[in-house]
Amino acid sequence: MNLNAQKVGVAVIGAGPAGMAAAIKAKEAGAKDVVIIERSEELGGLLHQCIHNGFGLLYFNEDLTGPEYAVRFIERVKELKIRTQLETMVIKISQDRDIMAVSSKQGYITFKPKAIVLTMGCRERSRGAINIPGTRPAGIFTAGTAQRFVNVEGFVPGKKIVILGSGDIGMIMARRLTLEGAEVKAVVEILPYVGGLIRNEVQCIHDFDIPLLLESTVTHIHGEQRVEAVTVARVDRDRNPIAGSERKIECDTLLLSVGLIPENELSLMAGVELDPVTGGPVVDENMQTNVHGIFAGGNVVHVNDLVDNVTWESDLAGASAARFALEVKPVGRGKIALKPGRGIRYIVPQLISGLRDVTLYMRVREPEQNVRINVGDIMSRSLRVVKPSVMIKLTLSAEQLKKLEKGTREIMVECEKRKGKK
Amino acid sequence: MSRLKTEVLIIGGGVLGAVVARELSKYKVDVTLVEKEVDFGWGSTKASANIVCQGADSLEFRKEYHRSKLVWDSMSLMEPLCKELDVPFERVGELGIIRNNNELARFRKMKSRAEAVNITTHRFVDRETLRQMEPNITKKAIGALYDPLIAVTDPVRLTIALMENAKRNGVNTMTETEVLDISTGVDEFEVQTCKGLIETKFIVNAAGVFVDKVAALINADDFVVFPVKGYIGILDKNLGVLVNHVLYAMPRVRSEYNMVFPSVHGNIFFGIPFQLCKRRDYSTTREMAQRALENAKGLVPSISESNIINSFAGFLMFRNWELGWHECVVRPSRTVPRFINLSIGYPGISAAPATAKEVVELLAQEGLKLLKNPEFNPYRKGITDFSELTDAGKKSLVAEDPRYGHVVCRCETVTEGEVVDSIKRGATTLDGVKFRTRAGMGRCQGGFCSPRVSQILARELVIPEKRVTKKGGRSRQLLFKSKELLGRRE
Repeated sequence: MNLNAQKVGVAVIGAGPAGMAAAIKAKEAGAKDVVIIERSEELGGLLHQCIHNGFGLLYFNEDLTGPEYAVRFIERVKELKIRTQLETMVIKISQDRDIMAVSSKQGYITFKPKAIVLTMGCRERSRGAINIPGTRPAGIFTAGTAQRFVNVEGFVPGKKIVILGSGDIGMIMARRLTLEGAEVKAVVEILPYVGGLIRNEVQCIHDFDIPLLLESTVTHIHGEQRVEAVTVARVDRDRNPIAGSERKIECDTLLLSVGLIPENELSLMAGVELDPVTGGPVVDENMQTNVHGIFAGGNVVHVNDLVDNVTWESDLAGASAARFALEVKPVGRGKIALKPGRGIRYIVPQLISGLRDVTLYMRVREPEQNVRINVGDIMSRSLRVVKPSVMIKLTLSAEQLKKLEKGTREIMVECEKRKGKK
Repeated sequence: MSRLKTEVLIIGGGVLGAVVARELSKYKVDVTLVEKEVDFGWGSTKASANIVCQGADSLEFRKEYHRSKLVWDSMSLMEPLCKELDVPFERVGELGIIRNNNELARFRKMKSRAEAVNITTHRFVDRETLRQMEPNITKKAIGALYDPLIAVTDPVRLTIALMENAKRNGVNTMTETEVLDISTGVDEFEVQTCKGLIETKFIVNAAGVFVDKVAALINADDFVVFPVKGYIGILDKNLGVLVNHVLYAMPRVRSEYNMVFPSVHGNIFFGIPFQLCKRRDYSTTREMAQRALENAKGLVPSISESNIINSFAGFLMFRNWELGWHECVVRPSRTVPRFINLSIGYPGISAAPATAKEVVELLAQEGLKLLKNPEFNPYRKGITDFSELTDAGKKSLVAEDPRYGHVVCRCETVTEGEVVDSIKRGATTLDGVKFRTRAGMGRCQGGFCSPRVSQILARELVIPEKRVTKKGGRSRQLLFKSKELLGRRE
């Protein structure tokens, strides 16, 4: 159709941790003409603004900062001489897998790849998305945007800060802004528990004596030009504000850390089916989407809490894409659906073949203690503490999968309370 | 303090002030427009519902109201005006949704009232036809009253376009210029603004929600404005074509409209519950938000809270003490000569083009000499919308100017080229860029692009990035440099 299209083997969209891992693995698996298409001027994505530590504890057995973690992959990309197409924004993926992109240097470019790996990551939920009433002044930022301003651009948005939501970036920014000399007046969380990792709650909130207001929310934003205050109220069980519990907190800045949404506008254009719970593509154990030849990995599939898991998933997506591009062995689709049952919010991958070892990533609905995760009746794992913010990772072996009855189409995964334990 | 002389001073740079300025620029008249905000169309205009209608709230088609005439006369003027100014305009049509016989009776009454004033475009459609026109409509709908003439536009873009064209044709404009006092000199007004004194022969008071306050500065008022604010929610574009027409249902209570309607930019809007409020109160409330969402779901059940990307409140209408709810003020002051008061209230956009023509006539009656401006050019080209170009068009534009290859706002695919163009045309703030280019209007609401737009603004305006504001005044985004709060310099 497009005569000027550049033919490539594997095109990877996005050069964050997911994209770099996928490209490296695709290349290592022998794929020819791997290209990473990245909209910013460098590889690494959001890792560059994550100057805190805690990256790579699982993948490298080392405690790295975001930029350090990024550099490991950037160097490998260079070693392997993987082609990188920087400052290039993909604006469309057609149903027949053509990629349309623009760049200031090269203009309008079309790629015709054999396989695509989607690694666009996620974006933050905004104020509009959570519909906070009030005025529309300056001084309202998502935590990640504030992180970029502080860590990359060299600005501090304000000096009296309220943070709504206790996602990981919000808690990390609470500490970061405190260290920058700002006063974090409160971290406000609507749930009875913190939304991010336990280590962040301890190291970023408690260690700095930052007030944590659980079961509370911001019910109004005040200030015409710049934020002047927010009203915070306690909420009832249905998360509705309790009348009479409101109090006004003076501040000049409101940060939002109220969730992340996988960035799948391009996936939708390409006809990729999304899971309404994860907001990301439905994938099989090869990280292939419903569109043949389109794979996905990392936060575009589901929002991870650890970059290490992003890397593992994307390793798999990259290797699978290479196999597809090389046509060595057709990459078939999984036929058995993993269904989230009682207590489970979602499972990735959603489809498996039942023939090989497969790693499952899943999240529970509520925090719970002393539970058992049952994967149909072929596997059961006891866990002492589960939290929605902490991903559960289980590996099903081919051996275990052999126990499945022939013709099984669906496996229910459940989280049940262990008997006899309180 | 500076001193400026002009023939006609327009107070207020909303859609009314702008359309009057542009109309006057067709003549050899010295016109100055002052706006208290940093940009044009940021008051009631910004908060209006995008709809160009022929019957105000569609329930009343009353000949006795001057406002009705202005709205009807504007119907045929709006589309050519938008064409001349390269502003989006889509005649989508409106469907008054009927859910029961009681509502049917009310819509019948409305139709006959419209016909009584020679508006004959309405027709009833049955359940099946409605379903074909609006596949996502509630199952409870038994039919609709269809009005094909209703259209949607972008009121802020229209206002900005009018101002650009007016300026090109000689109108002088001053932003961040609030009128503080007005007094009469010999045969001139002396208008004290925060930026200095302006002497003028004629005044057109188009100060929107402050119109009566401005008039009161010189006792030119014989009316009072009561601001009412409404809530409108905006849904994500990725819902696709959820509704094709402006959907309108009979409200459950008096203090609301019940509408779901498309915008020219592909988002769906819904609303509009309203309430009396203070003049500067643009805040939304939880109660309004919930009621709007509930009503919208009642019309289109597939709408859900998770589709909302933003919401806003704005002044919908003004109750006019002396004239009654439905009337407008387009007339010379009864006490002060050469002083024209303008207050349409809702729907100001729909009535704007005819109002401008009438204001020019009123000024002539008050003694303004009108000689045609032979150099008047009615055309204005809008900012190129990169995302709307064909593949070939995109290709050649990027080849011509590489800044169009740098996408700044990913949600709305806005390029650096467009942002720079908007700044060249007068945007000085993040919101100014947003309303001209849509950078920051998408689903991430500026999370991604605001640091980039902020940098471009600083570069193009040659100011430190710390001085970049969201919407002028004290609305700076970034209050400190890194380490500044620690008492150290980097």
